[in-house]
Amino acid sequence: MRSNAIVRVFVFLLVVLGTYMWIGQAITAMTGGERKAASVVEVTPEGGEAIFWGKGRCFTCHSLGGEGSAVRCPNLGQFGEKFPLPIGARAEQRAKERSEETGTHYSSTDYLVESLAKPDAYLVEGYKNEMAIVYAPPISLNLKEIKAVIAYLQSQGGDLDLDNIENPGELAQSYYARIAAASAAGGGDPGNGEEMFADTCSDCHSIAGDGGDIGPDLSRIGEKGLKFISQSILRPTRKISDGYETWVVVTKSDERKHVGLKSGDTPAEVQITKATGEVAVIPRDDIREIKQDEGASVMPNDLTEMLTVKDFQDVLAYLMMQKGDEASAKEAAQ
Amino acid sequence: MNQSRVSRCPNRFGWVAVLVLVLISPEALALEANEYRQFMGIDSRRLIWFLAQMHLFFGAFVLGVPLFAVIVEIVGWRSADSKLDKLAYEFTSLLSVAYATTAALGGLLAFALFTLYPTFMGYMAGLFKDVMFMYALLFFAETFFLYLYYYGWNRMQGGGPFPVKLQWLFKGLGILIIGVAVVLLFGGFGLQMRGDTRSFIALLYILPLGVGLLILRDLKSSHILIGILLNIAGTAIMQLANSWAGFMMSPAGVDQEGELIGTVWQVFENILATPIAIHRMLGNLAFGGLVAGAYAAVKFIGAKTPAERAHYDWMGYIANFVAICGLIPLPFAGYYLGREVYSTSAVMGNNMMGGDFSWTFIIQAMLVGSLFLISNYYLWSGMTRIPGSDRYYKYIKFILGALIISFAIWLTPHNLPLTSGEVGDMGGSQYHPTLKFMGLMPAKNAVVNLIILSTFFSFLLYRRGNKSDVVPISQQGRIPQIVISLAGLVAVAIVGQYALSMFNLDPAELDLPADRAHYFRTVGYLLAFECAMAVLAVILALRDRGKLAQGLYMTATALSVVIFLGVYGFVVMEKASPFLRNIAVSQFLQLISCIILFRGARELGKLQWGKMTVRSQYALLLLTFVITMNMGLMGFIRSGLRGDWHIFGVMRDTSPWSYTPSNYTMTEMVSLAVLVFMVGVAFMFWLGGIAAKNKAPDEPADKPDEVPDGSAASSIPPVGG
Repeated sequence: MRSNAIVRVFVFLLVVLGTYMWIGQAITAMTGGERKAASVVEVTPEGGEAIFWGKGRCFTCHSLGGEGSAVRCPNLGQFGEKFPLPIGARAEQRAKERSEETGTHYSSTDYLVESLAKPDAYLVEGYKNEMAIVYAPPISLNLKEIKAVIAYLQSQGGDLDLDNIENPGELAQSYYARIAAASAAGGGDPGNGEEMFADTCSDCHSIAGDGGDIGPDLSRIGEKGLKFISQSILRPTRKISDGYETWVVVTKSDERKHVGLKSGDTPAEVQITKATGEVAVIPRDDIREIKQDEGASVMPNDLTEMLTVKDFQDVLAYLMMQKGDEASAKEAAQ
Repeated sequence: MNQSRVSRCPNRFGWVAVLVLVLISPEALALEANEYRQFMGIDSRRLIWFLAQMHLFFGAFVLGVPLFAVIVEIVGWRSADSKLDKLAYEFTSLLSVAYATTAALGGLLAFALFTLYPTFMGYMAGLFKDVMFMYALLFFAETFFLYLYYYGWNRMQGGGPFPVKLQWLFKGLGILIIGVAVVLLFGGFGLQMRGDTRSFIALLYILPLGVGLLILRDLKSSHILIGILLNIAGTAIMQLANSWAGFMMSPAGVDQEGELIGTVWQVFENILATPIAIHRMLGNLAFGGLVAGAYAAVKFIGAKTPAERAHYDWMGYIANFVAICGLIPLPFAGYYLGREVYSTSAVMGNNMMGGDFSWTFIIQAMLVGSLFLISNYYLWSGMTRIPGSDRYYKYIKFILGALIISFAIWLTPHNLPLTSGEVGDMGGSQYHPTLKFMGLMPAKNAVVNLIILSTFFSFLLYRRGNKSDVVPISQQGRIPQIVISLAGLVAVAIVGQYALSMFNLDPAELDLPADRAHYFRTVGYLLAFECAMAVLAVILALRDRGKLAQGLYMTATALSVVIFLGVYGFVVMEKASPFLRNIAVSQFLQLISCIILFRGARELGKLQWGKMTVRSQYALLLLTFVITMNMGLMGFIRSGLRGDWHIFGVMRDTSPWSYTPSNYTMTEMVSLAVLVFMVGVAFMFWLGGIAAKNKAPDEPADKPDEVPDGSAASSIPPVGG
């Protein structure tokens, strides 16, 4: 009797699991199977297609005509009344409209690069800017992969111009630089990095004249490379720029210890600027002791607790773009 | 699944072996090029997936059953019901075999991970080595408490009370520790922790320890304290292992090169660690209860005598009740986890609800809906064993209707894959003109609450089935009056504090303009009204109008939660979308207050245990199968969300298996794991049965006892009027 019960329960279990697998099979048959990410990508429509439906995860939000089922973001194919043109033709039309409006030549490549690098530049009516930063984690497309996606999108009803994709105009070039800098910095988002910089760093550091002067000017910090910037944030005492050493001054009158940058030094007095921005002017005759502290930096050493991994990557990406020229500063600010 | 995607809840004994490797692992944590290996040409990802899933199933059983056993033991002790005590023992006896199996699987998983994914595991072991040492020590603690709990069961029965002074000492200690838990919970200290981690530690570690000491007065209560310590150790082990799984999804304390730039605590307390732990804790409770229920169902189906059927019917009922206690808050824990996933990464969140896993979530919705539907069916079947319950059969069709409609809405996706032609037929939109509303969150929030309320209503009918007349509360003595008043107070406190916070909520906190504050106030007034209804219900109950009070409060809650907030949710979604999650919290709090307020009624008369259809036992089995399949499915989603990353945004998966498997692959793998697990569990139950037969006659054994009466069972489910 009991063994019969176990057999019956076992058969019941098999029926349940069979139904479960049938549901899985039916759904997979309807939605398509596994999409394996392409390992090597060429800048061709085929390479872009592999990225669009694979590693780039574009299909999460965009459909392409009747392909895919996402509706969060605009359909990139010809679809219903709202999208009478596929994205390649759409890009050409918008580039033409903008050229006429501004008097400056825009190509469909410019439009497509901009829509990937700075998606809020043009929003389709009825849609919000929900586009992920495709060159930042977790998607982290490199420049070549992005170019491949642009080739794929351009081929959707438009004139594919691979030469223009490789050697575009000034606008697209500036976005390419932005993407390359972000990729070099581990794929951070420089736009968010700029905000993080303004919130966390600009009280002490300036870029292109904006910000505080307690710490070094960072307008050209990108030239020093990723490793240097990363180490300077994480371990500020390892390499302190000349003129930004930490000084400790102990006064005779009240035994107070002043720690900060020596921002003024005359025969009559010493001026110490503290990390808080407070400036202490100490007469020479009130100084009991003055010394440089090589093991300390005015820069906070708890930044790792203030920044998440993503914020850190974003700030790095933003700083990597600071190479002194006005264009990169403007581009970063876009 | 990639390798890291499946290392969900690593192991037990196996980690002892891992620790040896940790000891000799290099200190440097920077990432290196990944190395992948294979064993006998088998797909490494599938192998790890299967082993991890098996380990997780057995681990959940080993963690869930002690929870179940201690709860049943406490209720048995408080109600002086030896049958409940025997039931708790019966399940604990299954643990030792399951424990060893879990350990063996854990070892296998650990070795598989280290040999097949050496780079990844070397990195993880280097980063988490302190946590892993704690894990090992806790494992010793759990083993110690488990064997003490099991083998000390009979020795720690009976005996006189401890000396009064000693009892007071324990009470004092208990109160002190409970005080510490309360202070920690409300942020008196530990503010450097995330709020959820602080609450988890306060409520699941410190508070139970305090309660265990507070009730310590004799050998039996000492045994209960050991059971509590066993659960604390088990929960801590789970939390530590969750930190690894959480870290892989939401890494913290490391830079983009994987170098540790923060503290080990930051790494441990990553964003998703605690939300996953909360979800898993409730899931384990439900799972433990349902596996126990499946055991009872199989025994019932094969029972030879009415006495056996009565025993296993009763056992199944109690197991199901405990499982439902875990199931009811589970959707809300799921919402919280989902919200934190979105906070971690919008890409991950979008992929979860609208990308690779949108259809997986449809399957998940089918499974969760089935759980509630089958639970209700089981309750309705249970009414056949209650004389007089036929008076309430007429309500079942309405409950069923509400459940089916809710289930349909719960399943409705926001959009469907359509061809251009079909879109044209629908006026050029990919959204169906009517059904699109059913796919939105406000509709789903409303119906999930209606499903829970309907299930609760089924319970009320079940509990009332054998009552011809309600005994007026004024004739029941002082205790019920105090209990109802206190329950009312708790309900008002739960809802009231949130009402106050709604009046004080600054729109800027939700990135909303100041003129949206009136949406918050509307909800505040609604919650204040709910408080007033709770007070009115308590007053009516104290004046011997309990039925009216219950009907009034349930109706008010249903109208507020399902109708008003269900519709209002759409308004909020349009005008103040970030506030939608506060609406969901309001719905949940009102629902909980409703359930709290109407617990604690006495049951009269005898239930005819054993007079259940065999069909109902298959329903119980189906519940177990469904929750097990759902666990496998949810694990697939959670770990698959990382896409092609071992550690999200930090370490890429560059293996040949770096892609998201299809839903069919998922159902295949999960089905295989469920099948092997169920066969394994059946084997363990069989072994447990042999062990029980060899015991002395005076010990609890796998044999039918006398048919329990209604009061014995009623001490467990404290619901009803």
